[in-house]
Amino acid sequence: MKKITNRAVSVLLIAALVIVGMTVYVLRYIDDGRSWALAFSRANSGASGTITDRNGEILAVFDETRNAYAEDALTREACYHVTGDYWGRSGTGILSAYWDDMQSFSLLTGTTHAESAELKLTVDTSLCRTAYAALLGQNGKGAVMVMNYKTGEVVCMVSAPSIDPMDAEAEPPEGAFLNRCLSSAFTPGSVFKLITAAAAIETVPNIETRQFYCENLYSIAGVEIHCTGPHYTQNFEQALANSCNIAFAQIAVKVGQENMIEHVRDYGFLDKHTLSGLTGAAGNYPLDFVGDPELAWSGIGQSTDLVNPYAMLRFVSAIANHGVLAEPHLLESENDGGATRLMHADTADRLAAMMNYNVVAHYDPDNNFPGLPLCAKTGTAELGDGTSHAWFVGFLNDENHPYAFVVLVEQGGGGLRVAGPVANRVLQEAMKH
Amino acid sequence: MDIFLTYSLTATKYVLIILSVTILIRCLRSMLSDRYESETWAYIRLGRETLPVTHWENVIGRSRSADIRVDRKGVGRVHAILKRSDKGVWTIYDVFSRRGVWVNSVKVGPRGMNLDTGDVINLNGATVRFQDITTARRQKLEAQRTSAGKSVSPLGTILELSVFELFLLLQHAMTAQEEYLPSIGLAFGLLLALEWACYLSMRLMGRSGFEVETLAFYLTALGLSVAASSTPEDMYKQILLLTAAIVLFLLMGWWLRSLHRTTLMRTVFAVGALALLAVNVLASDVVFGARNWLEFGGYSFQPSELVKVAYLYVGASTLDRLYRKKNLFVFIAFSAACVIALALIGDFGTALVFFTCFLVISFMRSGSIATVLLAVAGAVMAGVLAVSARPYIGQRFASWGHVWDDIYGAGFQQSRAMSAAAGGGLFGKGAGSGWLKHIFAANTDLVFGMVCEEQGLIIGICAVLAVLAMAFFAVRSARHGRSAYYAIAACGAMSMLMVQMALNVFGSMDILPFTGVTFPFVSRGGSSLLSCWMLMAFLKGADTRRDASFVVKPVNTIEEYEVVYDAERDKYDYDDDGRGQA
Repeated sequence: MKKITNRAVSVLLIAALVIVGMTVYVLRYIDDGRSWALAFSRANSGASGTITDRNGEILAVFDETRNAYAEDALTREACYHVTGDYWGRSGTGILSAYWDDMQSFSLLTGTTHAESAELKLTVDTSLCRTAYAALLGQNGKGAVMVMNYKTGEVVCMVSAPSIDPMDAEAEPPEGAFLNRCLSSAFTPGSVFKLITAAAAIETVPNIETRQFYCENLYSIAGVEIHCTGPHYTQNFEQALANSCNIAFAQIAVKVGQENMIEHVRDYGFLDKHTLSGLTGAAGNYPLDFVGDPELAWSGIGQSTDLVNPYAMLRFVSAIANHGVLAEPHLLESENDGGATRLMHADTADRLAAMMNYNVVAHYDPDNNFPGLPLCAKTGTAELGDGTSHAWFVGFLNDENHPYAFVVLVEQGGGGLRVAGPVANRVLQEAMKH
Repeated sequence: MDIFLTYSLTATKYVLIILSVTILIRCLRSMLSDRYESETWAYIRLGRETLPVTHWENVIGRSRSADIRVDRKGVGRVHAILKRSDKGVWTIYDVFSRRGVWVNSVKVGPRGMNLDTGDVINLNGATVRFQDITTARRQKLEAQRTSAGKSVSPLGTILELSVFELFLLLQHAMTAQEEYLPSIGLAFGLLLALEWACYLSMRLMGRSGFEVETLAFYLTALGLSVAASSTPEDMYKQILLLTAAIVLFLLMGWWLRSLHRTTLMRTVFAVGALALLAVNVLASDVVFGARNWLEFGGYSFQPSELVKVAYLYVGASTLDRLYRKKNLFVFIAFSAACVIALALIGDFGTALVFFTCFLVISFMRSGSIATVLLAVAGAVMAGVLAVSARPYIGQRFASWGHVWDDIYGAGFQQSRAMSAAAGGGLFGKGAGSGWLKHIFAANTDLVFGMVCEEQGLIIGICAVLAVLAMAFFAVRSARHGRSAYYAIAACGAMSMLMVQMALNVFGSMDILPFTGVTFPFVSRGGSSLLSCWMLMAFLKGADTRRDASFVVKPVNTIEEYEVVYDAERDKYDYDDDGRGQA
């Protein structure tokens, strides 16, 4: 008997396997229960909701019978990275970020009958359409963000290429699910000079009285820095307007790497910022000691510099708003999102004046930006393979149209020539509102 | 749904959960943590030592695992078997004839030899003396044992279970369609009545072990709730089945009371099982890809479910038979016939349940891991052959682990079951409030999903633990079993039910391939409920706690047989089955 009853332990082996299996199930339930429960939940939990833009135009609507988007294809494509889709293919997007809230699921209570959820966004579909069309008019790869720097409302967030979420059959273009505004960081080129300039204003006492001399070529510790010049003798303001590499190489060295890092960090270029629950990508700046030549290159937006377009939008918004950043957001319900000071008011106002001088002195505003009270900076970020990112960042100095913007055309070419017209079309549309 | 109803439903949900957990804990405590002493049936005197004989079947030998250890020179590791028939006749068998056993200097032959108090047993040189226990002594010892239900009152547990069932009924009353209310009410009423009738009659018999029945009734109540929300139009059929199941449980239990009768009829059961399977292979209807249904006047019936009971009945064995190789081969042949028949029928889930049960029984019988591994290897090869011969079986494996990639095809049922189960959260949506019931096979193959959706994950886990609790109890009881037959049958029955449950739960939740077997007691399906309750009789047969089980004859009544034995022992020579031969 003893022998046989000892062997009864084999029954416990089966029991142990059942317990292991149940543990696996419970762990999976904790991990994936939400997605399981919501997989068929439209019909089952009775969830319904709508997402509209700031003017009440429908971006997404779902109830027991449908999962629908905006009516016209251009709006669906232009706003795809704002709305996201019902399958969570785009990592960013309000549908992905707020799907759970709208569906009401918790591990404790399972799915519950959701009240009809309505989310009103701060974006303006007409601006998004314009921006998307303008990007398609260039090489169809890039990002446009526009926000109200007084209130923090993001009125336009467009990334191209995009897809029409209603057209599930179509082969999506490469990179269509990537939201270039939030989820990526790019070599900034000359738009980075705004950061170097801000650091210089705050750390180099006599920056305004200094003179910079450019003869096209300048050597730091035997490493040559090229410039589009020659710009000859120029002061600080003229150096920014000329976007003079040699002047800003010298300025960066003068500021010093520690100060540069401190300001890059303070302005939030190394952080992953969130926008209404959507998380962005961090940028990059050389943090280890690199020496003067590399420091010089980093001060003019080359080296290993990477800037996230949304981080840049936050920076120019602060400049526009006397150094204070009104927290950007996509949901109207977050309109009292608070504000943070990124830089001294004097620094911001000085930068704003310089950016206005840029436009007036060099960007031919009457032809390129007719009627816009524009403060801006161009950037042409060389990628080393002959192509360059075209950047155009800045804001409208207008109480009634307080918009800051970032335009990036990926591998588009020259900043003013390629990104400038995109910005102009979007801002002209924004001025109508 | 108005506010009042919503709040009532929410309140009942929590009540059900608290009751489930306490019922489970009470049963677990009562079954596993109470003291459980062995019975004493005789003594062996070895020099000055007196060794108690605690089973009806005992190995005498030098081995540490021998029940009666005679560590003397010349004694084999497993030398002899000392067996008591349920009529009280003691017989000794020689296991290794080359060493030899003598009783009062007479050599024991292949048929064994009966013993009487005072007989001297010579084990190849070492002598021991056999001494039967006196009635007075046994009654005294019996009184010292812990009786079942000592620390946890079975009455309290069954009261809690009744409240549980009433609250389930209340939930149905709030959600069911009005036309079905009478039949649902009647079904739950009958469940309560059967439960209390069982309990009260056990108490009248002086029995106090009711945990196995309580857990089985708990699972049956969950099953009844599943039936009430998925097929309320069929409740009268459920009522009939439920009654039949309890009646069969009691009959089976009564039948198993006598080991003599039980072992006598093994051949009959084996032939019956094979005949049922043969009819099944030849004549049954193909339903949902498997030919395992017979139709009887509007009632469909799965013969393989009854074969499960017969299989255990035949597969379990008394100790003396285990030491004859021939018996194991007969068992292997019988098992192979059953599994092959089920494979022909196309019911691979049940074939797998049988096969695992076969592994457990054959391991318990032979103790040979090599045999088990060999059997597994053979089965794997057969499985590979089956999959290559019938591609549709392979499809089930293809979707395994990927059900979410094909939610409108191969993963249709599982993905719905998982979604509904998760949608229920921990506390469930309430009986009758789920949506999974609209999906095909929700109340059978996907029943775990349905329980989790309507009653929540906690009760789903309680249901799984209820089966495991019975399995733990089977293993614990096996140590104190009278006969190897009951120990093997109880362990085999519980491994069968556990494997079946695992295939059901993990198959529908995409942890194992989806084989479409039922969750014991809970899945709707008549023959399945019948067989589960009949298997419970095996478990009751192994429960030798004092005054615990109606299947186990109490010591007091056994005394009656002693008179019979005294009168008959001169006329009869008992063979190993206790079968009398002139």
